[in-house]
Amino acid sequence: MNLPRREFLRASALAAASAVVAQRVGATDATPSPAPSPADGIAWDKAPCRFCGTGCHVRVGVKDGKVVAIQGDQLAEVNKGLLCVKGYHVGLALYGKDRLTTPLLRKNGKLEPISWDEALDTIAKRVMAAPDKFAIYGSGQWTIPEGYAANKLMKAGLSNNHIDPNARLCMASAVTGYLSTYGVDEPAGCYDDLDACDVLIMWGNNMAEMHPVLFSRVIDRRTRGQKVTLIDIGTRRTRTTEFADHYLEFKPQSDLAIMNGIAHLLLKSGTYDAKFVERFCNFRQVPKDPTVAPTAPLLGDAMSFDAYRAALEPYTPEYVEKISGVPAEKIRLLGELFGRKDLRITSVWCMGFNQHSRGTNANRLCHGIHLLSGHFGKPGDAPTSLTGQPSACGTAREVGTMCHFLPGGRLIANAEHRAETERIWNVPPGRINPKMGHHTVLLWEKFCTPTGQGGDISTVWVQVTNPGQSLPNLHKLFKAKRGLEDKFLIVSDVYPTATTELADLVLPSAMWVEKNGMFGNSERRTQQWFKMVNPPGEARDDCWQTIAVARKLYDLGHAGLRDKDGKFLFTFKNAAGAEVPAWDWKHYYDVNVDRALFEEYRAFSRYKHKDLAPYEEYVKARGLRWPVVQQAGGAWRETKFRFSEFDDSYVKRGTGLQFYHSVTKDDKALIWFAPYEKAAEEPDADFPFWLCTGRVLEHWHTGTMTMRIPQLAGAMPHAYVEMHPADAAERGIANGETILVRTRRGQLRLPVWTNGRGHVPRGSLFIPFFDPRLLVNDLTLGEVDPISKEPDYKKCAATVAKLGATRTNTV
Amino acid sequence: MPTSGLIITLQPDPATQANVVARLRARPELTLGELSQRWLPAALETHDDDESREVHDWLMALPGVAFVDVVSVNFEPTPSLQPHLSP
Repeated sequence: MNLPRREFLRASALAAASAVVAQRVGATDATPSPAPSPADGIAWDKAPCRFCGTGCHVRVGVKDGKVVAIQGDQLAEVNKGLLCVKGYHVGLALYGKDRLTTPLLRKNGKLEPISWDEALDTIAKRVMAAPDKFAIYGSGQWTIPEGYAANKLMKAGLSNNHIDPNARLCMASAVTGYLSTYGVDEPAGCYDDLDACDVLIMWGNNMAEMHPVLFSRVIDRRTRGQKVTLIDIGTRRTRTTEFADHYLEFKPQSDLAIMNGIAHLLLKSGTYDAKFVERFCNFRQVPKDPTVAPTAPLLGDAMSFDAYRAALEPYTPEYVEKISGVPAEKIRLLGELFGRKDLRITSVWCMGFNQHSRGTNANRLCHGIHLLSGHFGKPGDAPTSLTGQPSACGTAREVGTMCHFLPGGRLIANAEHRAETERIWNVPPGRINPKMGHHTVLLWEKFCTPTGQGGDISTVWVQVTNPGQSLPNLHKLFKAKRGLEDKFLIVSDVYPTATTELADLVLPSAMWVEKNGMFGNSERRTQQWFKMVNPPGEARDDCWQTIAVARKLYDLGHAGLRDKDGKFLFTFKNAAGAEVPAWDWKHYYDVNVDRALFEEYRAFSRYKHKDLAPYEEYVKARGLRWPVVQQAGGAWRETKFRFSEFDDSYVKRGTGLQFYHSVTKDDKALIWFAPYEKAAEEPDADFPFWLCTGRVLEHWHTGTMTMRIPQLAGAMPHAYVEMHPADAAERGIANGETILVRTRRGQLRLPVWTNGRGHVPRGSLFIPFFDPRLLVNDLTLGEVDPISKEPDYKKCAATVAKLGATRTNTV
Repeated sequence: MPTSGLIITLQPDPATQANVVARLRARPELTLGELSQRWLPAALETHDDDESREVHDWLMALPGVAFVDVVSVNFEPTPSLQPHLSP
């Protein structure tokens, strides 16, 4: 075949699209095959998308050492060949013009190029000088082996638990919600629920823009003529609303009251599932005095069913309407839907519940209405959180790169868990520090506080994230670092960011298919890919950076970097059994470090029945959902529906459903009562608007990658403030006019967008956080949920003004 | 010079579908595959990203088009197209 190049590309694109159509038409029994790709010099391989937590798989086309094409992977169950606008541009994220290509050290205020050796020495000396004042801050963008290596370096090597991820800012409340309801983290169901539900409730979740491929999966069902009722419960109209059968707009924070209203109606009408509740549920309430830290925050106070009913008594539809602004008949509609046994109901949520000053309770109440109504444990009947980062689940949560976790859902505070971890890591008993480290907000607060005033973190190493843009209340939690001469900020990244602006040392990193990797997505699916292209210049893998620093510490004589037998903690052997000096970049790829670390980590996965298969199984698959259990014939079987006897092999036969990590140790889940409580900061006379922050379709997280993709940056070039037209008109503000938005933390000049893509109600503002030039987190509150320690980014009080004399973006 | 694979989902009415397909065929940037039920595979080839977006927006706004999914994109540098092909 000797088609001109352009014709070939056109034919390939048409073939890819035709193949996906054929798969759709053939419905589920057709075996999909990848789109044809005749030999033309492009080598194709699979990888999960680099961006969000959906976990779409892409086919990556590489030619002449460069990624040149992207296709949706038809073999992937998650996306079935489709991608969103970000996904099909993911390859271009590698090729921004300002990639970091050499280590940089700040000298006389300027970042100057240095060698890798000097960079590693600098870090090692800082750590050796004060190992207990060192912290690592990562994210759900860490691959599983990267997160595991960082966790091991800190907890086994330095006996230091000051490691936390960006997941604290986005998923921590989901974690505490799952743990306090089922005793184990992460959803029971999976994306298959989206294919089976009759009703999909999106709680403060703009799925059409934030998880578009999953949303498309649901819309596709409608296209096929299936009936699926979409209910959008939110604080602003979005693209999701356009597809919804019902839109319930609630006042910020009042989602707690709405869920209590549903539970109230289920009890009043007797339509709750009494048998399910009796067999599978206990009741709990949050301690009465929220200022008193409970000894066991995930256990709460026991309550009887009668006490639960009494606690819900005030939450009549009329009372809920008064609090939430949602008409009583809409509350009744929700109560009636949950009361029907002939429907399958799936709830999904993301940051709306999680970035909430009562985020744990919001999660608990949602699980609670599903349990109370029996809408649980069958395909299509599920409460399921979605994640924002590609491996928030796989790395941050499962590997346990949080200040209170050990790998596999084990706890720092538990002596038995520490002992088991020390055994797997082959380190002496007592090596793991029993004291929890600082959670994210506290960590950055301590880093930005002068040492003499209690600022007990002196060096922070940031990998794979951008806290200089994503932390709340940036003036307090990040920018206050400026001028603190004894504080030292190390940043490993791919591009210059708001964080590198204050960095003392910058390390250039490889990204995505420039290295081997593994991610874990929102539905417990673990995914693997191989390195396909070389990183630019001297950019190197984050995992290598961690191991190389560990080796420097070992060479400097830090005892923690030796195991019980005196061996280096990160010792790797090749197939012949010879040790490979993986800390030396020249030899890093002489062995598959990912495979070695993953196989070691896999031992942890059994403790809480999150069983992972051997590495090679993931090489073959487009991801597998844990627990992945070996069958009698040797095959590995994934689990779609956890706790349900029909699918989960850990459920005792004959039980139907078993919560085998039950908090109350009786195989039952907990239905929580938590009252509606006001937000930490509400509008008042001085700051009359609610301010909410979030994302847009084109940009992912802080925009460091997507703002460098011309197609995406061109489509959404800068941040804006969404405002109701009537609010704008009252103040003489025109659409597109730049105004000043101010909170008690800071102020920002932004163009106004009225009647744009999203529509806020009167008295509300929305600002996306992707734009590094317009940092909305200069304004946000930083108030955290008392249990999860996750900040509320969705609610604070703000005011606006037409621009006059004030012209700066400072406090 | 972007080349994308698209799936264009049409509204169910067959009369409308025929009209939409005719209008799509008139766009030289688009190469159409075979319509299956409501789904029409297509390849979109444009001079630059702005033009891609223009065509995408046009497609989304076209009466009879319910949805447009992108399934592939190639951003490999290729020889320039003939000066403008757009209608």
